[in-house]
Amino acid sequence: MSANDPAAPGAAAATATPTLDELRAEAMEWGRRPRARGTWYVTEHMVRAMRAYGWTIIVGAFGQPVLYLLGLAVGLAALIQQPVDDGGQSVPYLVFVAPALLMTSAISVATEEFTYPVMAGFKWRRYFFGFSASALSSRQIANGVMVGAMARMAVTVVLYFAFIMLFFLWLQPGATTPATAWLMIVIGVLGGLAFGVPLMAYAASIEDDKGQFALVQRFVFMPMFLFSGTFYPLAVLPLWLQWIGWISPLWHAAELGRVVAYGKEVDPAMIAVHIVYLLVLTAVGLVLSWRLFGKRLAK
Amino acid sequence: MSAVQVQAPPRGGGVRALWAGNPQAVIQRGLIAARSSSWVVVLSGFFEPVFYLASMGIGLGSMIGDVETSQGISVSYAAFIAPALLAVAAMNGAIYDSTWNVFFKLNYGKLYEGMLATSLGPLDVALGEILYALLRGLLYATGFMVIMQVLGLNLAWTAVLALPAVLLIAFGFASVGMAVTSYMKTFQHMDWINIVLLPMFLFSATLYPIAIYPEWVQSVIMAFPLWHGVELVRGLTTGILSIDLLWHVAYYLVMIAFGLVFTTRRLRALFLD
Repeated sequence: MSANDPAAPGAAAATATPTLDELRAEAMEWGRRPRARGTWYVTEHMVRAMRAYGWTIIVGAFGQPVLYLLGLAVGLAALIQQPVDDGGQSVPYLVFVAPALLMTSAISVATEEFTYPVMAGFKWRRYFFGFSASALSSRQIANGVMVGAMARMAVTVVLYFAFIMLFFLWLQPGATTPATAWLMIVIGVLGGLAFGVPLMAYAASIEDDKGQFALVQRFVFMPMFLFSGTFYPLAVLPLWLQWIGWISPLWHAAELGRVVAYGKEVDPAMIAVHIVYLLVLTAVGLVLSWRLFGKRLAK
Repeated sequence: MSAVQVQAPPRGGGVRALWAGNPQAVIQRGLIAARSSSWVVVLSGFFEPVFYLASMGIGLGSMIGDVETSQGISVSYAAFIAPALLAVAAMNGAIYDSTWNVFFKLNYGKLYEGMLATSLGPLDVALGEILYALLRGLLYATGFMVIMQVLGLNLAWTAVLALPAVLLIAFGFASVGMAVTSYMKTFQHMDWINIVLLPMFLFSATLYPIAIYPEWVQSVIMAFPLWHGVELVRGLTTGILSIDLLWHVAYYLVMIAFGLVFTTRRLRALFLD
């Protein structure tokens, strides 16, 4: 008999006419948990919503690493027989490409999860307004979207990492340093956030869908994927194309990945630059998202 | 009572029930509708193969040097991948127009119900929609061919024939794509398209010769349409012609015929029977 349970909020209403203070206290009581854990509630929603395309996620997360590693890394590696000269260090082609492919997978999850779901939350299905009408703050909503996407990135990157290790065991035994290689998982998620969180801010600012995301895919993601030293060292490109790599979160993440995967020799200052750049992009994106979510939800 | 039977229109068979000879009405409708859509998005499709060509041609090209084609001649890496990227662009353009576009018109726009309520038959709609998809493919292919010409990647005059070849490829993919789309009911089903296209793109002798694979993998790849398209276009742009190219053409002719019949039957089953 929940109505007689004195612990349950709402019990007061059944017994006597409550005062304003009692009502306020009751409302505050109901809102306490959502206020405290709002981010996680939103995360839960985002992750549950992913079940609608769960099979795609799973097939993509299994299929992409296998296809890319077989198709590009093994296929191209057969063509590029001599090792890659990566900043004076000689690296087998497969070992060179693998970290960058892993980072790309995280970033491509980011391009999916930080675009259309955000648009749907504001415009098509408007669930963010529903969240906002409850005890959740706009900041928590933005954070929840981010954590939900992180969860999917983590799944993808962990699988990718597992496949890379299997491929290396098969084709390049001893080429990686397992003690640090697992850090690629952390770097992958960070790289995905550095690209995705600013994208979330952009998505929150879009009022009308005029194909902006398709343009982001074609003119931001695609060039970044192709010109960030993913398939060959950035230094191979002419200088007038190298800037794409310098500003691209993919390049910074891939460079870090190469450090932990096979001990690429890099100036420690550069390692700091890579990490700080990725963190700054994420932080700036998050602050922008908070503001844009707040503005739009208050409208 | 035989007079009445003669006057009654034949039901359930014959070309007249499927075809009013007016697919251009469907194409025209597509062109008019395109005016209100975002032309930047349409145009952007052209850049994808260009970016690939630049990235792979410059970067990998400097590491790989020359590559031997299946016809046994050695060409620069950029000249090796450019025709493949052209074929891939034709495939992608045709597939996106004949799947995403058709999916929306089929499930949300309810466009075909309206069209089929007129004198148009399912074959008019199928052919019109597919030919419309080809226009976009032709646009991309022409642009890319110009770039290839400027960069000196067209190695023979026969490269001109790559344009009709690209249309053939696009026609094949568009007609099968539309047939497959008619079975799709939700957005998530559409993701399967990418799951099929990505391995085809990666393995069909696009970025490296097929010869690096063991025999049995090669025969699997050869069963898929993109490989035939890549070989056909590559043969034409490098100017190494052989009678084998006709097999690739035949593959696509069968694919087109199959796709058209299949799509027409599906449209009829969905909306008329």
